[in-house]
Amino acid sequence: MKANKTLGYEYIKGFWETNPVLKQVLGMCPTLAVTVSVMNGLAMALATTFVLVFSSLLISSIRKLIPNQVRIAAFIVVIATFVTIADLVMKAQFPDLSKALGPFVPLIVVNCIILGRAEAFASKNSPFRSFLDALGNGTGFLIVLVVMGGIRELIGSRTLLGYQILPNGFEPWLIMILPAGAFLTLGLLMGLANFYVDKKKRSEREELIQKYRKSQNDVEVKGQEA
Amino acid sequence: MDLLLIFLSAAIVNNFVLSLFLGICPFLGVSNKTSSAISMGMAVTFVMVLTAIVSWILYFIVLVPFKLEFLQIPSFILVIASLVQFVEMVIKKVSQPLYRALGIFLPLITTNCAILGLALLLSMREYSLLQSIIFGLGAGAGFTMALFIMAGIREELELTDVPKPFRGVPITLITAGLLALAFMGFAGMI
Amino acid sequence: MKKVIHMIATLTIIGIVAGGLLSEVNNWAYPLIVANQKAETEKAIFLVQPNGKSYEAVKSPEIEIYKVFDENKNLVGYSLVSAGNGFQGKVKIMTGLNKDLSEIEMIEILEQVETPGLGTKITEEPFKDQFKGLQTLPQINWVKGKAPEHPNEIQTITGATISSKSVVAIINSGLQKARELKDKGAL
Repeated sequence: MKANKTLGYEYIKGFWETNPVLKQVLGMCPTLAVTVSVMNGLAMALATTFVLVFSSLLISSIRKLIPNQVRIAAFIVVIATFVTIADLVMKAQFPDLSKALGPFVPLIVVNCIILGRAEAFASKNSPFRSFLDALGNGTGFLIVLVVMGGIRELIGSRTLLGYQILPNGFEPWLIMILPAGAFLTLGLLMGLANFYVDKKKRSEREELIQKYRKSQNDVEVKGQEA
Repeated sequence: MDLLLIFLSAAIVNNFVLSLFLGICPFLGVSNKTSSAISMGMAVTFVMVLTAIVSWILYFIVLVPFKLEFLQIPSFILVIASLVQFVEMVIKKVSQPLYRALGIFLPLITTNCAILGLALLLSMREYSLLQSIIFGLGAGAGFTMALFIMAGIREELELTDVPKPFRGVPITLITAGLLALAFMGFAGMI
Repeated sequence: MKKVIHMIATLTIIGIVAGGLLSEVNNWAYPLIVANQKAETEKAIFLVQPNGKSYEAVKSPEIEIYKVFDENKNLVGYSLVSAGNGFQGKVKIMTGLNKDLSEIEMIEILEQVETPGLGTKITEEPFKDQFKGLQTLPQINWVKGKAPEHPNEIQTITGATISSKSVVAIINSGLQKARELKDKGAL
């Protein structure tokens, strides 16, 4: 039972607790650059997750064969190989998406999330655990990219996934699909995430204090009764 | 004229950090002091120019004639990684003061997407060797400038009372957004 | 020493496996990528020449231009690709021209990185439609803030004057080269 729980945790933790963008502040370049629409964000996140999952899986399977001194070089070659595969497949099957993402598909290779997970997790854990960890981090990345893309597309061009949502009377905020909008949206989103965490921590602390007071009261009451 | 356009475009109008979003990690990480911002900027510019030369030769002299374009990503990243190592060794041997100024920033550069981005963009746009060098120089200058301006603002920010959840990265991102907006004023110069 | 050999051997094996895998994937992907690019160019050629049924690339080192024929293999005109700097970066345009290069059929913006919402209006119908039937002699001109008076003029977009001017300049420079080619008898 306990083992199951921790395996589940390896997957779930990437969503929020160790979210690669909001908490680890990794992979900022693609987060800012490609999120002009939900579709672009989704495609970018899926390509990144593909590379992340397969390179984590492979690296953790061969982790004992790689000498420690050359591990980073070996990781980079593995990652670059999967990135090239993703790039070629996208160019061949989804030329329009590949054009929209531009150099950011090849740039997945220097996305710190992937090398970060390889170095911090996959090189020390079993393939199955690494797989879950990679999938969780990929999903966390996907959540942020889709939310960013959604906010920017909705306010910046009135649409979601290409369908018009807001009425014509709403003047689109062009700044949202410009580079400046990317920085502002992510900054506000991170601030909001921090605010929420702070609030949660504070209420937890208050709960603890109240519990403590209550137990103290109980003790006092008991003492008086005695 | 053409070269000047490439330089200005890379440095200002299509600034690597503020409009192409390349090199955000060091931009957020090393931009809290103006002195370290300048050192980092110099190190990046130096490596960028070298990368421009080496990756141009690699791509147009080796990969394209042998129809090996699909090896572009692994070969570029390996070349950049070894280049950075090599530069570090040379600087250490040649000039101790320079090494002390740039040394600690060099390992950070390998995973800087601005460098790989530069190599990919120059092969995509099919620049000549000279154009590539100027492109690298411009991109480096633009990166240094963005980093320097940001560091200046952040030094002031330390003295202000920022709401707690926004301290650190969020306020930096918002500041960068305003900077990006200011840089948009340069669009149309070309 | 043994360690060094181990290190080199590991990296070599990884490199060989990676290289082999990539060349396999590339063998599969390369023809598809080429086909995609060709399909895209073809689509644009016929988009600006609605009466075209087949085409033939003109061999010229300076410009990319295609002869377009109707169903009876008669020349209907040319599709010309020209590129240049817009407001923020490269703009690439496909222009459909009649047989003697004196009139534009239609234009299509192939690539652009203009400001979203302002400069990107050059890709929208109201702007592109101004080029339908536009006279190209002696050259295309633009006017700002008033309706065009001559058959070789278009009106620039409010808020995107530079982008609009760039489109005109890019088409003019392409036309210039096409005329030179025509004078040499290569078209």
